[in-house]
Amino acid sequence: MTVVAAQQQGGSGGGSSGLYDVLELILDRGLVIDAFVRVSLVGIEILKIDVRVVVASVDTYLRFAEACNRLDLEAGPRKNPGLPDLVGEMTESGARGKSKGALSGAAETLSDAFKQGASSSGSSREEERESEPAPRKPRRTTTARRKEESE
Amino acid sequence: MSTYVYGIARGDHPGPPEGVNGVGDPPAPVRTLRAGELAAVVSDCPGQLRPKRRDLLAHQHVLAEAGAAGSVLPLRFGSVSEDDDVVRGVLEDHGEHYRGQLDRLDGRVEYNVKAVHREEEVLRQVVADDAEVRALQAANKASGGGSYQDRLRLGELVANGVRAREVHDAKAVEAALAPLSEQQNPGPESAGWLVNLSFLMRRDATAPFVNAIEEFQQANPHLEVQVTGPLPPYSFVEPAPAHA
Repeated sequence: MTVVAAQQQGGSGGGSSGLYDVLELILDRGLVIDAFVRVSLVGIEILKIDVRVVVASVDTYLRFAEACNRLDLEAGPRKNPGLPDLVGEMTESGARGKSKGALSGAAETLSDAFKQGASSSGSSREEERESEPAPRKPRRTTTARRKEESE
Repeated sequence: MSTYVYGIARGDHPGPPEGVNGVGDPPAPVRTLRAGELAAVVSDCPGQLRPKRRDLLAHQHVLAEAGAAGSVLPLRFGSVSEDDDVVRGVLEDHGEHYRGQLDRLDGRVEYNVKAVHREEEVLRQVVADDAEVRALQAANKASGGGSYQDRLRLGELVANGVRAREVHDAKAVEAALAPLSEQQNPGPESAGWLVNLSFLMRRDATAPFVNAIEEFQQANPHLEVQVTGPLPPYSFVEPAPAHA
């Protein structure tokens, strides 16, 4: 379980922990008042795209079949991954590019959305760097999941 | 100068603590506007506000700090008023509605809970529970992976099994946590989680909820559960009726 303490302490206003996890709530929930204008979120609207967790597609089926063939049913859960299966990992990244379905999609969707938002709205280099929120978090998540997939 | 609005509080709310910065670069100082029995937490709005990391964080930070000092209705990111007078007008026009919301959400916080499957663990379950999948998997493995059609058939069966578990596990998460919260609302659709729910509870009584998540996670190692909170009650505020 990951517990993210969203309440930031102190008055520094810094720190990016938890931003990814509340992003969709800040952007999609909260009171809307008609008398106020809302800042344009062009580029960030991609957040609304419905990503199904398991996508019914040939790519997904083949990926699952592949993953099943690599399953070692004798081993218990949480087996020490040992050396990574290099071929498996390469196949995995190939499939990710195409289907981008399944379990690893979520964090990337957010991160892609933000990059798009940045490139369509950032006018200077400095702004673009600033507008990528918390790049550490999704990268870590993706790495962790990829590691699990290649176990 | 337009006015950026973070949230609405009761008139006697002290406002966020000194030194809490608002949106913009350099960050605008946060102020409190009062009208009738209500107050709005606001700052000057920078000329070109965009959904940037710094500003999203500032929005969240101001609301978290102000919410700790007393009930605040969080506005959606990017709510900008023409000027301070329009904000005061809104507080006056819909005072009754916002006071009702503040009463309902007084001392309440939101926790957002999301979960995904750990792929290898859930595949293991699907294979173990379905004899047909097991037979196909063994046959494919024996013939060096199986033909294209064989692999497709296995993959489709497995995908169906995983989907069924997504539905099942989403219900299990909800069933485990709903009794420990006062209210629940679905999180925004889009993120690709098998479950994404927000729960409302008293700020001073969150421990049983957090403990229940931990127990649930331990009992369900095939899930990766993520909980975020305490948050301002983003998912539980209701807009004023159109012609109040």
